[in-house]
Parts: sequence; C-alpha cells; structure tokens
Amino acid sequence: MTPAASGEAPAVPHRLIGARVPLVDASLKVTGRAEYTDDLRRPNLLVGRILKSVHPHARIRKIDVTEARKVPGVAAVLTGDRYPRTFGVLPMTHDETALAVDRVRYIGEGVVAVAAVDEETCERAFARIRVEYEPLPVYDDPKVSRNPVAVKIHERALRDTNLQKEVFQHFGDLPGAWRAAAHSVRVSARYAGVTHAFTEPHAVLAEYSPDGRLTVWSATQVPHYLHRALSEVLDLPMHRIRVIKPEVGGGFGGKSDPFPHEIACAALAMETGRPVKIVFDRDDVFYTNHGRHPTWNTVGIAADALGRFTALDVEALLDGGAWSSFGTVTTYYNGVLAMGPYQFPNFRYHGARAYTNHPPSGAMRAHGGTNIRYSVEVAVDMLAEEMGWDPTELRLRNFLPPHSTTVNEFRITSNSVRQCLLAARERSGWREKFRALPYGQGIGIACGFYISGSNSPIHFTPKFPQCTVHLKVDMDGGVTVHCGAADIGQGSKTILAQVVGEVLGIPLDRIRIAAVDSDTAPIDIGSYSSRVTFMMGNAAKRAAEDLRRQLVQAASDLTGYARESLECGGDRIYVRHRPQVGVSFLEAVHRAMEHTGALHASGSYESAPMGGTFKGARAGTAPAYSFSAYAAEVEVDVETGFVRVRKVWAGFDCGRPLNPQSVEGQIEGSIHMGLGQLLSESLNYRGPRLMNPSLLDYKIVMPQDMPEVECLLVGEDDPEGPFGAKEAGEGPLIPVLPAVGNALYDALGVRFLDLPITPDKVLRALEEKERREGRLSKPAPPAVMPVPAGGTDHAPR
Amino acid sequence: MHLDEFQLHQPESLPEAISLAREFAGQFDYLAGGTDLLPNYKMHLNPRPHLISLDAIPELHRFSPDQGDLGAMVRLREMEGSAGLASRYPAVAQAAREVATPLVRASGTLGGNLLVETRCFFFNQSYFWRQSLGFCLKADGDRCHVVPQKEKCYATFSGDLAPALMALDARVRLMGPEGTREIPLTDLYPRDGDGIRRTSLRAGEVLEGVTLPPPVQGLRSIYLKLRVRPSYDFPELGVAVALCQDGGRVSHLRVALGGLEMVPRRMDALTDPLVGSQLTGESLRALGEAIRSAVRPVHNTFLAPDYRRKMTAVLVRRAVRSLTEGS
Repeated sequence: MTPAASGEAPAVPHRLIGARVPLVDASLKVTGRAEYTDDLRRPNLLVGRILKSVHPHARIRKIDVTEARKVPGVAAVLTGDRYPRTFGVLPMTHDETALAVDRVRYIGEGVVAVAAVDEETCERAFARIRVEYEPLPVYDDPKVSRNPVAVKIHERALRDTNLQKEVFQHFGDLPGAWRAAAHSVRVSARYAGVTHAFTEPHAVLAEYSPDGRLTVWSATQVPHYLHRALSEVLDLPMHRIRVIKPEVGGGFGGKSDPFPHEIACAALAMETGRPVKIVFDRDDVFYTNHGRHPTWNTVGIAADALGRFTALDVEALLDGGAWSSFGTVTTYYNGVLAMGPYQFPNFRYHGARAYTNHPPSGAMRAHGGTNIRYSVEVAVDMLAEEMGWDPTELRLRNFLPPHSTTVNEFRITSNSVRQCLLAARERSGWREKFRALPYGQGIGIACGFYISGSNSPIHFTPKFPQCTVHLKVDMDGGVTVHCGAADIGQGSKTILAQVVGEVLGIPLDRIRIAAVDSDTAPIDIGSYSSRVTFMMGNAAKRAAEDLRRQLVQAASDLTGYARESLECGGDRIYVRHRPQVGVSFLEAVHRAMEHTGALHASGSYESAPMGGTFKGARAGTAPAYSFSAYAAEVEVDVETGFVRVRKVWAGFDCGRPLNPQSVEGQIEGSIHMGLGQLLSESLNYRGPRLMNPSLLDYKIVMPQDMPEVECLLVGEDDPEGPFGAKEAGEGPLIPVLPAVGNALYDALGVRFLDLPITPDKVLRALEEKERREGRLSKPAPPAVMPVPAGGTDHAPR
Repeated sequence: MHLDEFQLHQPESLPEAISLAREFAGQFDYLAGGTDLLPNYKMHLNPRPHLISLDAIPELHRFSPDQGDLGAMVRLREMEGSAGLASRYPAVAQAAREVATPLVRASGTLGGNLLVETRCFFFNQSYFWRQSLGFCLKADGDRCHVVPQKEKCYATFSGDLAPALMALDARVRLMGPEGTREIPLTDLYPRDGDGIRRTSLRAGEVLEGVTLPPPVQGLRSIYLKLRVRPSYDFPELGVAVALCQDGGRVSHLRVALGGLEMVPRRMDALTDPLVGSQLTGESLRALGEAIRSAVRPVHNTFLAPDYRRKMTAVLVRRAVRSLTEGS
C-alpha cells in the first residue's frame, strides 16, 4: 500500500451537489421492485377492515358485535371504548380517537374494526354488527359556526359555538394606514376543499410478538409522530414499539397525521397476536381526507401615492371538518403567510376555523399558503390596475429585501424574489404580451414564498434536535446512512446520498440509505413543512464531516501529510497540491477501523431561536424561505369556457438547487397539482355528504393538460441551508394559481374568485360581463409599462 | 372493495351462449370487455351470480369496416386504429378514440360501449355511500335522488359510440332465445325508456354486431365530446353529425346526441327540414338553439345541466361547421 500508487488522481474533484442525479430508488420503482406497505406479507396475516359511520353526526347509543364475533374466520372485533384515549398531530388539540367513542362526527368515520381471514369475512361480520345511532343536528356550513349551537361537535370548541380556533393579530396601525391610503383594494374569494390524491392509498401492517413488542409498517410521512401516538393511545412504552416506513407512494400532507386506522390496526394485532394489515380503498382515502380546507377569505391592500404598500388586512374562515388535525397551524398560516414576499408596515389578521360534520381537513402541499396567496396576488393585480401600473412594477416596488425582518418578526435571510420576477418577466415576453394578446388569450404573473422548514418542532419535550443522521462504515467500504426522514417520493434519500457523497468525495454506489426504522434510525420529525432538505441536509452534512475528520486522520497517518493538506474526492483522500499522492477511500476506512473495528459518525440539526414573543409568534417562522415568481400564459375557448394553460415560466429561489433535476420535477409536479385546484378539483359536498369520493369524479389534471414549463432557478446560496439550499417541495405550487388567475383576467377581463374555475363558471362569468358591458373586451393596458429588464444578473443557473 | 363470487361461463358459440342465458334467466349478465361491469360489481351495483363471457365466440370478433360489418366484441383499440373505419366512418373511429383511456380501450368493446350502464352520481357510488344516503331506484332502493319521485330513473346514457353510429344509420343484429332480428340502432334505445329500462333488448338477447350502410358519395361525419378532462372521463355530452351536401345544399343531415339524457337520440325532426336548403350561419345557429331547447339533461353528472344544454348548441354548430369547411 504505497500512497503514491493508489489510483489515478482526478482532474476535477468528484461533484454530486448541483448534479442532475436520478433519484437513487428510481430503478426500483420503475421496475416494480420497490416495496410498499401493501407488498408486505407476514405469516398468518389477517385482513383488517373498518366499519364506517353512515351518519354525519350522531350519538352512538349501542354497538352490538356479538353476532359479528361468531362469524367463522373473524379473529377480532374492536370498538372505540377499548382505546378511548384521544390523540392528534398537535399536542394542544387532541380530539381524535382510534374508533368512534359515543359519537360519530362525519360520514366515513371509523366505528368498528374487524380482523379476519379475508376481506369478504370482514364484510360478513359488518353485516352482523348492530349500531344504534341517535342522529344529532348536522353542521355543514362553517359560515354559521360562530353562532351558538344546540350540540357542539366537540366540547373543546370555543364558547357555545363550533369554532375550533380563532386568531386575532394586529401589527402597526391598520385603520390609520387605511385612512391615509392613496389607493386600496379589497377582494373576497372562495375556495373549494381539495385533497392530495396521492397514488398509494393509506396502508398499515401491524404485528405484536409474544415478547411484548409491537411492529408497525405504515405509509406515513411522520414515523416519529406515529410512534408517539401509538405509545400514548395503546399505553405501550416507545421502546417496545418499532415503526417502519416502507416506500410511500406520495403524501403531499395527506399522510402527515398519525391516523386512527394505524392505531386500530395495531390494536387488532395486539388483540389477536397475529399480524394484521389494513389497506384503504380509494373512497376510504377520500373520507380520511385531511386535505386543503374549504376557505372563504378577504384581503385588503392599501398603498401610498408612490405605490408602496402600507397595509394588509386579512380575514379567513376555514372549514376544518370533524377534527382539529393541523388546523390551529392552518388558521395561523392563512394570515401570517399572506405578507411575504412583500413588505407591509401594518398588518391585521382575523382567522377562524370551524368544526363541521365534513371529513377532517388538514395539511396539504403548500399548507396554509395557497388560498391566501391567490387572494393576495389577485388583489395586487387589481391594485396595479387601479393605479394604472404594470403589475410587475408594483411588485418590484414592494418586495421584502434580503436579510430583513417582517412586521410580525419573521427573520428573512436569502431572498431572490426580485430575480425570480425579472427572469419570469423577461423569459415570458411580458412586455409584448401583457394586455396585448388577442381576446381570449392572456398572460399573468404572481409571486409567492414559503417556509423552508417550520422553525418549531411540534413536540418540545423531551428536547431533541429536529433531525439526526448516523453514518456507519464497515470493512466493505460501504457507508450506511441511518435517518428517520421519510422519503415519500420527493427524493430525500437521494439528497441524503448526494450530501454524504459530496462531503466524503465518494460515488453514490458506496452509500446505502437504510430503511426508516425506529429501532435503528435516529429521529427526524417528518416530511412536512418542507423541512427535510434543509434540516436533514444539514444534519447529514455534519455527520459526514465528522466521518471525514476520522478518515482524513487515517489518511494523514498513512501518507504522512498533515490533515489540513488533504482533500476528499474521486473516491480518494489525496494531497491538495500533489493530487497524485493519496490513498483510496477504502484504504482510509481500513486504517481508521484498525483498532476500533467500527467507524461511526453522527450529525444533527437544530434551528436557531427566532420569532417574536406575542401569541402565535412562532407560526410561520422558519430558518429560511423559498421565493417565487411565475408567469403563465393562457388561452380560453370563449364559447365553451375551457381554459388551456399554454406555458408557465417558473422563477424559483430554492437557494442552491442540490439536484436541479429533482427541483424541476417538484416544480412541474407542483404546477400539475396547483392547476388541478385552480381549474377542476373540488371535494363536492351536498350538505355533509361527499359526492365524488373517486378518482373518476374528483378531477385531477391529466398529463395532456400540462402546459410547457420553463424552470428558472435563480436563487443565491442561502447562508444556513446545506450547501446553500432551501426548500422546493411546496413553495413551487403557490404562484401557479394566481399567475393563471391573473392571466385569465388579462385574457377575458373577468376576475375569478370562486375556485375551481370550471368551464361552466367561465362561461357564466362571460355571459354576465357581456350583459353588463354590452360586449366582451380585454382590460385596458396600464399607463406604466416595465422598463426593459436587460443585463444578465438574473440569468438562470 | 372486492368482487362478490360469480360463476364465469365461456361459451364458444352464440347458440351455446343463448342456451346459458335461458338456463340462468334473470341471474346473469353478459360480459364483454368488463371495464364498466366489473367495477360496478365491486361497488355491488346489481351484481349477478353468473357471467356469460362473449369473448370466446369467434364471429363476434369480426371486423370488416369496408363491408360496414362490425362484431360486437371488436375492441375499441382496434376501431380507433383502423384506417378503413376512419376513412369510411370517421365519426365512429373518433368516438372510439374518445372513450376513457388506452388501457380501457384495450379491453373495452363496441358492444359494451353501446350497452354501457347508464350513469348518475347517486348510483355510481360504493355500497357504503349508497347505504349512507338511502338506496336509489336503480340499485337496491325505491326512489330517485335526482328528481325525487318513485317511478323513473334519470341516469344518463354515457356511451360514445352510439351517437356516432346512429348518425351513420347503423343497424344492430340481436340474437336471443326467440331468434334473430335486425333493428335500426335508434330503436335499441326506447324513446319512452329511462335510466333503468334503457334498451329494447329482450330477455337473453345478445347484441351480435353492427352493420353500417356504405357511405354515400360525399358523406362526412364527425364526433365531438364534451368532458372536463381530455382522458378518462365519460361524456358530459357527445355530438355526432353526418352531413352530405350537393351543390351547396344539404342532401342528408343527421345529428345524434349522447351523454345528455337517459338514452341517446337522433334529432331527425329538427334536421330533416334542413334537407334541400343551404346551410347558413343563421340556419346553423337556429338548429343549435332548437336542439338546445329540445334536450333535457338533469343534474347527475359533473357539469351543470344548463351548461351542458348550452354546449349542445355550441358543439352542434362546431361539428357542422367543421364538416362544411373545405367541402
């Protein structure tokens, strides 16, 4: 082993960060080899099914399961009284139970769980279950939730109403600013509820072994919160519960709560001593929902004569459905996420979330930031029109600067929203198109921002970092990465591998990402709030740097060169100024293990304290924010009302894109999802009843309807993100809705304030406009057109 | 959701199929592509204990667009890709291409699409959903949730091929325990029918095939479909037009509609008066409006009925216009 002889010196150091790396599990997924929960089999496996409530709101007088227990093949029949302890994702609002206790609150709520040899037997058992219900008043309209009610949906609702949460915030002097304003607009909009429509339905497998240990495999975004909920409700210590997350076929927030069916499945496994699996039908997924809240909001924006925003006034009312879920956070987000990317010296928010007898609403991609953003960006557009300004100029005038603080004390660090807007404006040909395309065609622009990881973990006790990564190296030279971060298809495993590989200068095939298994993986608090790349990335980087220190020491011992002169790259550790001198990675590993037999390293991430001290100050604080500006071009068939989005220019600031291919995938997927909410998706309720619990009747956008997307990644390195990166998982969804909404105004002269904008609504709006104005025409062009952008300072990477 | 158990029969000839039908009278469904029937069975929508598959009967697979002779078991995929069909009967090839998705069309058949179950958002739901609201006339119940009453089912005819074939004067061959008959396709769908009594098929009768008359010189046809998404969705409206002009005057005009009411229908009473006349923007507009006021969709599909009626006028105009352009 002569150092000088080991391998060719690389001309350029190996680089994984910023490379277009295909997702490390792509080959397994496209060949069908990846294992999802439903693929898992255990000996003596039972099928679990849950009998659902047919009533939207009723007292349970009696449940008789005697006959069901006698059905041959039935192993267990479980009712809510067995595990009545409440749980929920937020510690302050526990109001869910594994199965209904005394009361059902929506059509589809679980009432009885059955484990049997097969699904047919479960259904035979269901037919023999007698549930006596006493119907209660049904509340399906959140607009009357402030009124006193005869029967509160939950005792914990505010006063004698069905309000789950109310938020009042006021910064500065809003009434004063409003009185002094030179210009102001107010816009009210309505948003139908939408749901995640991920590919893989919820699925869980649980097994309780004779040594008193429970193992749960589940399609979850939050293995750690599931771990806690199982422990609390089943009254088992956490160390006797093992949570494993197999591959997950999409989540988008819809798998980010601990769910009743997960607990019920574990309870059935404990009851029977046999493994039990529950896989949802698609309609079960729709009833479980936890999607974006049906929302009514009003946004007022005031500006001075120079076009500077002086005040933002926001009201929001959310239909929370039957449970709290993330609702308290949602209620805050619908206000506090209204401000950025603009500067407002005065801000007022009144938000409320109602309990109703609809399936629960919860967190969905760009949680709390989507509906309010549409209203704000439409209001900005309207304000620009009232002032006779080009809307891009008005936005440029009002952006938050980088490294600033908002009036509600958000700490803003890196911020390239200006570059996003300039890039989208230039690439889209805005100057030539705005107000200038033929009637029925239009272009619009809108901005956005989103948290890059909620600064506050949901649980504070015991105190622990938001993410920890362990690395383990053995004689074979493979680096095994243990981390609780849940890859749900977004690609976090790939980011882990890229970060570790980059720091150690090794190729991806040396890196093995271990399955998320609570027995071996340190905690990551979950795939929500777009926190994983930022927080896990930092933890992984620190762990890899720890390992690198140990290996560089070994290489130094072998080569005789000082540690400071050594570099990792090309699967080697070599002397920086004499690259031909060095050792292979494997040689360094073997040397480092010589006397310990083991090589381990750890790293973790904990975000810095931030935010104000007022009530609710933590909501919306994040160690960084992504920023965005999209331009969209549309074409409307004015005889049928069908909207075609021709192209989207997506200016996005995710700091440094660690994997541009993956970022572009997130942007394209976000646009697909956002267009669904904008144009065709809605949970159609008739009273308490969901009319379209199927993927045929719930209209997600088809690939044929996807516009061309041009991604403009213009961010600068974030000072705290791993290698300068910020989130790209949720923020990219936000601006597409208002960009298209504003483009529709440019095309037709009609503001659409009731989502989704289905063809019948477009046509009705055009008919009304024609009746009112006598003709159909485009809005007038603004007096102030943008100056040519020029220069290359915002050129895409 | 799971399928209830059923017994699958795979006769290899029509007489064999019909004798099975006699044996299991009232207890069976004929099975063609199964893309609609089996999902409905999963939702426990009128499942039967016996399924008589028609797939093993060779003559039902015959496909001779040049002779205008199509077996009932021809796959939609074969139809959409057929140059012969596209050149002689373009509306039919277009309608086949517009059905659902490529996967569905690989299984789905001509006969299955003609006899596809009517649809309604109170009917096409899981057993649980229907139980929660109360069952309807069309399955397990005794009332209609669309138009509250107890006599008539308002489920919507949702096939794409019927209007296209009706516009081209197709006839269907039916074989049953009482013999063989051939009727105009328009007569397969009774005018006084509803979402349940939706065909004039007699007990045990099989739709054996479709015959199309040879297209007269200059005959052009088109099928336009209204739906929210360009794939998957059943029609919210389907418009087929067949037109022949002679020296600028209409010599033949047929308009047929599907996806709108309980049965598809042809609007001869409104189109016949136009024969012999010159088509103008004005007469075309009037035709669209007349058809619009003649149709009666109800609110049991995704798009509102008043919108679908308006679109009837629009699509009729567009279809005729596209046939007159360049002719």
